[in-house]
Amino acid sequence: MYTIEMDQVNKSYDHFVAVDNLSFNIEQGSVFGLLGPNGAGKTSSIRMMIGITAPDSGAIRVFGKPFERKCLQKIGYLPEERGLYKKMKMLDQLIFLGELHGMTSGNARQQAIEWCGRLEISEKLNNKVEELSKGMQQKIQFIAALLHDPDFIIMDEPFAGLDPVNADLLKDVLLDMKKKGKTILFSTHRMDQVEKLCDAICLINRGKAVLQGNLKQVKAAHGKDSVQIAYEGDGAFLQKNPSVRSYNDYGNYVEVQLAKGADPQKLLRLATQHARIDRFELAEPSLEAIFKDVVGKTDA
Amino acid sequence: MHKILIFAKREYLERVRTKSFIVMTFLIPALALGGFVVPSLVNRGGGGSKHLVVISSDARTGALIREQLLKLSDDQRKGALPQQLQRSLPQIGALTVDVDTNTSDSERASLSEKVNQKQLDGVIVATKEALASKNVPFLTRDVSSFLINSEFERAMNQALRRDLLKSKGLTDQEIENAFQTVDLAAQSPTGLGNPQALFVVVFGMAMIFYIVVLLHGISVMRAVLEEKTSRVMEVLLSTAQAKEMMAGKILGVGAVGLTQIAIWALMVLLPSAAGLIAAADMLKGVISIKVILYFAVFFLLGFALYSTLCAAVGAMVNSDQESQQLQFLVMMPMVISVFIMFNIIQSPGGSLALWASLFPLTAPLIMFLRVALQAPPWWQVAISIGLLVATIYGLVVVCGRIYRVGILMYGKRPTLPEIMKWIRYA
Repeated sequence: MYTIEMDQVNKSYDHFVAVDNLSFNIEQGSVFGLLGPNGAGKTSSIRMMIGITAPDSGAIRVFGKPFERKCLQKIGYLPEERGLYKKMKMLDQLIFLGELHGMTSGNARQQAIEWCGRLEISEKLNNKVEELSKGMQQKIQFIAALLHDPDFIIMDEPFAGLDPVNADLLKDVLLDMKKKGKTILFSTHRMDQVEKLCDAICLINRGKAVLQGNLKQVKAAHGKDSVQIAYEGDGAFLQKNPSVRSYNDYGNYVEVQLAKGADPQKLLRLATQHARIDRFELAEPSLEAIFKDVVGKTDA
Repeated sequence: MHKILIFAKREYLERVRTKSFIVMTFLIPALALGGFVVPSLVNRGGGGSKHLVVISSDARTGALIREQLLKLSDDQRKGALPQQLQRSLPQIGALTVDVDTNTSDSERASLSEKVNQKQLDGVIVATKEALASKNVPFLTRDVSSFLINSEFERAMNQALRRDLLKSKGLTDQEIENAFQTVDLAAQSPTGLGNPQALFVVVFGMAMIFYIVVLLHGISVMRAVLEEKTSRVMEVLLSTAQAKEMMAGKILGVGAVGLTQIAIWALMVLLPSAAGLIAAADMLKGVISIKVILYFAVFFLLGFALYSTLCAAVGAMVNSDQESQQLQFLVMMPMVISVFIMFNIIQSPGGSLALWASLFPLTAPLIMFLRVALQAPPWWQVAISIGLLVATIYGLVVVCGRIYRVGILMYGKRPTLPEIMKWIRYA
């Protein structure tokens, strides 16, 4: 059973192709990562899933049926572009959004108060939104997406602009939702943030899916040809090295993709000659490394 | 439908609670009242006394002019002028009028100098030559007080006519009878009396209409723009359709407008129960229930029409500055309606009235005027309402699309071809 089935979906704006023959399925009860750089077509895809725009061609099935507006009551959406009525009181705002999702006003009020308690913003219930900090506004928007107890939760860049403590708070809530059998879609360009949460992913670039499937399988397919090296000193040994296919410098460490058949021991020996090595680890490649790898290939 | 009501409820409650609603609701009547009452109070207090001199070759003519001028100021003090004049004429004050039969140029020059030095307030130079040339100079510092000056002119002419009749040997009584006036009282075919009061009431309703539409139309534009810039739209669009949002917003804002009018009506009628009954009595003679019903119908339709247009503009632009340039265009037909209103009131059966009352952008105000002042054929009223409803429905659908696409595309203002494309987008 799939919550979302995208079948050869296309969408263009004028001459710009936003989504190009995209197909993927999101299994019910799973956490799905829709990943890709800015402008890859993530938000365009989401907007089509919830009927804000219609695809030019292709089919989208939601909860196993062609899209109909009724199913919006079972979907919670946190858009990337956050927005609330600035002059409206927080509680009124949540009740309003709850009612739009088919809740009664009494039920919406009760749920809103409960959620605000859980996310530690109860004392601001009667403040206007413009009086709240950015982080609190984020939380309200987050609550608005979950208030009506949706079966399918769409989170577009959910952790953008949140401090680590609050990001963890929201992450815990979402994991809790997963345990309750909800389907969650993460859309983000910060792949490192959702890597640990996702069951399956679809990497898209320029509107096309470049890599998709179960996260473990995706990683396994890319093998253990990744080395993370933390060092002090001259990193020049990485350049023009036949055993290095590519590398990303993250500041504190570099992630190196080894060339096919290259021996990591050889790289380690070479590295110790040039720099002080604090850590040298053969690891599963990060999603980001895989993405750069795949995109590099498709672009070439 | 349910969602439309949720949108309408939010819009209504949020607006009625704002400070600007409360301020506007009480400030506008206060300003209007001030505009009428303060000048007349100020005028009543002013005036003082005036000293005039009539230069006349003939003592009898001079005396008659003096008599008529004194009668004018007397009548005003006693409130015996015709009603209209009594209300509009500024206070003349106590008059002293001397007659001077010295018509020499030197006398005239010396009096003129006295006027200049404020020892005198005016000199009427009614010499034989001046009368013969039909042009009597009036030396005064208040050349711009044309209301009072034209009453002085009327008084002088009366005096001259009386003088003429007297010289033909008529008795004072006969002359008095000759100057008796008879009123021509206009009455509408609907049988309603007091056309002046009708005019005032209808004009007042039209102005309320104009103010409320202007005020709230612009606030709809602001609200849409705010939804767009604060990016609330995307969440809303994930639960409801753009046309539901649009319809709800317009309903809600319309209800706010009606609330405001209701408060104004209560402010006028409530001060005392007696006032209420008196007002009801007065209105009963002036306007019918039918006119009030038509007011409601055309007000709502006009309101919906202009709100929708404003919402579409709000969806197209990206900033307040941009919206101000465009809101002028949207409000133009409303302003034109008010301009041609005076023409329509003069000839409610003319062809301008006919076309303006059918054209949807001017119909709300103009057709209402026609219905109130005249009894246009029922089919014209029906066509007018039908066209309005169709236009509003079309606009809601079209603007809903502009709304939806416009709010999802930020950045530069769209060109006309782009907007046409948005309308066609699925």
